[in-house]
Amino acid sequence: MLQVAITNYIALSATIFFIGVAGVLLRRNPLIMLMSIELMWNAANLLFLAFSRMWGNNAGHIFAFLVITVAAAEAAIGLAIVVIVFRNAKNVDVDEVAGLRG
Amino acid sequence: MIHHTMGVDGSYPFLLAVWLLPLLGAILLWAFGPQLGRLGGPLGCAAVGLAFVFTVLSWGAGTQHGAGGALGAHQLLVSWLPGFDFGLLLDPLALLWALIITGVGFLIHVYSIGYMDGDRAFARFFAYLNFFVFAMLTLVLSDNFVGLLIGWGLVGLASYFLIGFWIEKPSAVAAARKAFVLNVVGDVGIMFAIFVMFAATGSTAFGDVFAHAGSFGTTALLTVCVALFVGAAAKSAQIPLHTWLPDAMEGPTPVSALIHAATMVTAGVYLIARCAPLWSQSADAQLLVGTIGGLTALVGAILGVAQWDIKRILAYSTMSQIGYMIMGVGIGAYEGGVAHFFTHAFFKAQLFLGSGLIIHALANEQDVRKMGGLRKKLPFAFVAMATGVLAICGIPGFSGFFSKDQVIYGALEHGHPWLYAVGIVTAGITAYYMCRMLFVTFLGSYRGDVDPSDLGMRHPELAGTAHADDGHDGHDGHAHAPAWYMNVPVGILIVPTVLIGWLMFGGENSPWAHFFAGQFPVWHPGAAPISETLTTVIVLVVVVIGIGLAYWRYATAAALADAIPRLREESIRMPAVLTNLFYFDAAIDLLFVRPAQLLGTVFGRFLDPHVIDGGVRDVAAGARWLGVLTRSFQTGLVRAYALFVVFGALLFVAYYAFAGSIR
Repeated sequence: MLQVAITNYIALSATIFFIGVAGVLLRRNPLIMLMSIELMWNAANLLFLAFSRMWGNNAGHIFAFLVITVAAAEAAIGLAIVVIVFRNAKNVDVDEVAGLRG
Repeated sequence: MIHHTMGVDGSYPFLLAVWLLPLLGAILLWAFGPQLGRLGGPLGCAAVGLAFVFTVLSWGAGTQHGAGGALGAHQLLVSWLPGFDFGLLLDPLALLWALIITGVGFLIHVYSIGYMDGDRAFARFFAYLNFFVFAMLTLVLSDNFVGLLIGWGLVGLASYFLIGFWIEKPSAVAAARKAFVLNVVGDVGIMFAIFVMFAATGSTAFGDVFAHAGSFGTTALLTVCVALFVGAAAKSAQIPLHTWLPDAMEGPTPVSALIHAATMVTAGVYLIARCAPLWSQSADAQLLVGTIGGLTALVGAILGVAQWDIKRILAYSTMSQIGYMIMGVGIGAYEGGVAHFFTHAFFKAQLFLGSGLIIHALANEQDVRKMGGLRKKLPFAFVAMATGVLAICGIPGFSGFFSKDQVIYGALEHGHPWLYAVGIVTAGITAYYMCRMLFVTFLGSYRGDVDPSDLGMRHPELAGTAHADDGHDGHDGHAHAPAWYMNVPVGILIVPTVLIGWLMFGGENSPWAHFFAGQFPVWHPGAAPISETLTTVIVLVVVVIGIGLAYWRYATAAALADAIPRLREESIRMPAVLTNLFYFDAAIDLLFVRPAQLLGTVFGRFLDPHVIDGGVRDVAAGARWLGVLTRSFQTGLVRAYALFVVFGALLFVAYYAFAGSIR
């Protein structure tokens, strides 16, 4: 079986993670931002599984399931907030929603 | 703790009545003044009159001798902390003061019904007077120093109320404030003395403190005496704390008679006589107090020469006579000093009430230059003033003769020849200025309608002249004869003024000496270089010279004929040092008031706005700046927050990366 070096997994995971970071920072559409956050979750999951495989135990798998569960909850709450904001503000540009400015 | 042996312990309901009746009167008058109206006067009189009756009824209790040298009556009221037992003590010394306070006080109350007639605050005046009598009785009947200090403070408060009674007169308000401030200086002195005494003996009761007087140590004893004397000097108008007394004449004349002549200003004499066991053991304190007393007597008399306001003449005369008393009790001639208090209370009250008759009749004119020739208009006032003047001059047979000679001769007996000389000289000056007042006021022709500038009165306000239109709105502005209830008290006072001195006649066997047997420390005089008889003759010669000088200057036919130019000449030629009252006010102003004002300016202009306020302002500005700074992070933009989170995460990563590389 082809063995892939752990550094490659780390590089891929970091790439996916920073794509997610860039998406959250640069995009103004909340749906895209949520999707970017999902990317970050999954980058983390990928690392968990890669290291789990490397050390030969199941702890990483357990954590990955936990992360998927939390990510699902997060996506549900995030989408609910987006729907509520959309009802009130009639747009989906997060920069327009700045009512908490100090 | 030693149980004190002052007074026979027991229950004395009369003593409580003496003490509390004036308080009851004051409360009733305060509470129901407007409803009582004209009845306020008789009610106030009744409270004090009943107190006098109960004082007389307490005579036997007050003069009783018990086991172990106990003298008088003592009743415990409240036991507080150890060393703070409050009670009433009536021994001969307190009895004498209580008799004067309630007796002379009653007469002055009756007189006030006439004098204050028509005043808008008639009942309040009597409330204040009753309150004063209560406070003064608290002072003299207390059996401990704390109670004495409470009374001491309350009489100062009553004095403040009454000096400033005519609150619409700015000068009266200023005088009241001055009197109060100077009196508080004295209160602080007494409080300090109480601290030292309590530290040394663990008690504030007279008996405990006096029982330990020998174990104080010279320095502590002198400290206590000096601190107590600061209190006595402030209350009794001794140099240099005397300046409030002449100003206090802004109050109504009955107040001057009761508080600023007969009773309150003699509280210092009472204090020193009460503390005789302390003074007797400190020669330094005796010398200090005797010297200050003698100086005050002399300075008061000299300033009395330069006054034109009839009440101010009497005020300086009061200061001078209290100087005699303080000198007497200070050097150890306690019976003499107290005797002079006793006679002075009568003749000075009479002089003030007599001057009140004149002021009342002349619609508040107080300048003697505007009087003259009043002997025919006010014959009764003339008799009253003349007997008072004869008594204060010390004419043989009149009351002042006996007591003043006792003080003057006492100074020599106790080894103070200089004070003896000062006493004699002061007697001469006293005779001069009192006769000057009498002659200018009552002889010659009436000068009320003469132009003030012809009499040398350049500034009526500065000359201390009251006018018919300031204050005192009840008076109708016309000269009028006083009512009988003004004349009768003066008439009654004439009797003791003339006769009371005979109580002191007879030296060791006199009723006076018997009355005070066991009160003061026993002291056996050595042989004095000049005998008592010769002293009397010397004093008399000096007094006659003083009277003769006054007669020559003011009462001869030639002097009466051109009285107006002579008075004008005297007013203009008055030396500046006398019109400025020896610069005492200026000195106090320079030494204490100005530095205090400077300190106030430093605090008000610099320390408060720049240091204290500045600190507060800096804290506020810092909080505001912090708010502005942190507010700038709260943009409300989700993406900005996300950026912060990323930066935070990067910092973590950076920290562990670097920390790892260092390790």
